[in-house]
Amino acid sequence: MVPFRLLVYPGFLFLFFCAMLFSWLDRRIIARVQGRVGPPWYQPLADFIKLLTKEDVLTTGAHALASSVLPMVSLVSVLTAALYVPVAGVSADSFDGDLIVVLFLLSMPALTYFLAGWVSVGVYSIIGGHRSLLQYFSYEVPFLIALAGPAVLSGSWRIADIIAYQGHTIWGALTQPLGFLLAVVGLIGKLKRDPLDIPKAKSEVVGGPLTEFSGRKLALWHLALDMQTVVGIFLLVNLFLGGSRFLTGLPAFPVFALKALGVLLMLSLASALYARLRIDQLATLGSRWLAPLALLQVAVVLWMRG
Amino acid sequence: MVDARSTIPNAVKRWTAPVVRWARRKSPWVLHFNSGGCNGCDIEILDLLTPRYDMERLGILKEAAPRHADVLVCTGPVTRQSRDRLLRIYEQMAAPKWVVAVGSCSCSGGVFHGGYNIHGGIDKVLPVNVYVPGCPCRPEAIVAGIAQLLGEI
Repeated sequence: MVPFRLLVYPGFLFLFFCAMLFSWLDRRIIARVQGRVGPPWYQPLADFIKLLTKEDVLTTGAHALASSVLPMVSLVSVLTAALYVPVAGVSADSFDGDLIVVLFLLSMPALTYFLAGWVSVGVYSIIGGHRSLLQYFSYEVPFLIALAGPAVLSGSWRIADIIAYQGHTIWGALTQPLGFLLAVVGLIGKLKRDPLDIPKAKSEVVGGPLTEFSGRKLALWHLALDMQTVVGIFLLVNLFLGGSRFLTGLPAFPVFALKALGVLLMLSLASALYARLRIDQLATLGSRWLAPLALLQVAVVLWMRG
Repeated sequence: MVDARSTIPNAVKRWTAPVVRWARRKSPWVLHFNSGGCNGCDIEILDLLTPRYDMERLGILKEAAPRHADVLVCTGPVTRQSRDRLLRIYEQMAAPKWVVAVGSCSCSGGVFHGGYNIHGGIDKVLPVNVYVPGCPCRPEAIVAGIAQLLGEI
């Protein structure tokens, strides 16, 4: 059973399928909000295959080994984090404190993203890399504190226990609405999606840290980001929306899928509706508002525990 | 159009080639460069990306980095000033890559033909795959041109 769980469900193949599906749904929802039709369902797959078969250009002065290893490290850390995030109650592995490991592994892509800009020595890459680090400090602090809320409330750092706790009380999003909102904002920052796509803003820094990447390395970067979207959404569903539990008697997988699509809809609507923030606006927002609000939420959670 | 340095055996290539061709047809990412035109065609190209024409239906995305792009969409004649930049951008793109010349000026030099500061059309400098004439050309004509390019890939 373990190879099946690692490779097929809820492992690599399932995540790959979800990454393609979510990426398409996201583009499609944004297109519909803008009154367009949007791309056909096979679009992310076609993009991925095309990028895999394109020429791989290495910039003069770029570090050859680092620029091929970094996208792999990014993808591998996301996939490793996915091992501990249950999909409809099924996870490849679980232990006490796996939430902390997942949070650590999910912040690895931000580090590799910065290093990608650093090793590829382009002007736009380095500016984009520095922006991504600045953004990291703005969103990661409130994101971590907000995700600590459900763990403190249920008294365990094990994701399965947090789901079980919500099963016999109510959803985390109902007990900590502020924490859920902050976690969604943090996830948008983590995924560098539209209102917070400061490190890769096309009209400002061309492609950000990925400007000089092409071919299969770019394909791996895109895949890592799409999979990070999937894992991040699954994590929020588990921590705040009660995993696969809704009403007794309903099958687990459809309920989980509906909740995940609901979070995806929130992310897509945020991308379609809000304009990009400047980096100083984000830094102000992150340290003056988001982090204190997250602390307030944890204080409320401590009070609720009594 | 398979990467010359590729180490994949021919037997595998025979099976993967149709898939690769399909993927390339369905996902042309476009880089837009004005090599010295009057901005008329550029506005028509930007029209293409608005919700009215919705080029994302055909998988077309406008990329800002040459390394990410597949199709170089050029407007305007090639001036002596912009020739080196145009060549440099073309060389930065990863193979396989295609060039579409949009507008009369980029097809032949147009009204600037024979000017002292003009090399001529894009094809004086780069291999052009599709010519879209017009001054400026309508967005529908550009769609037709790109569709023709996708048919040739």
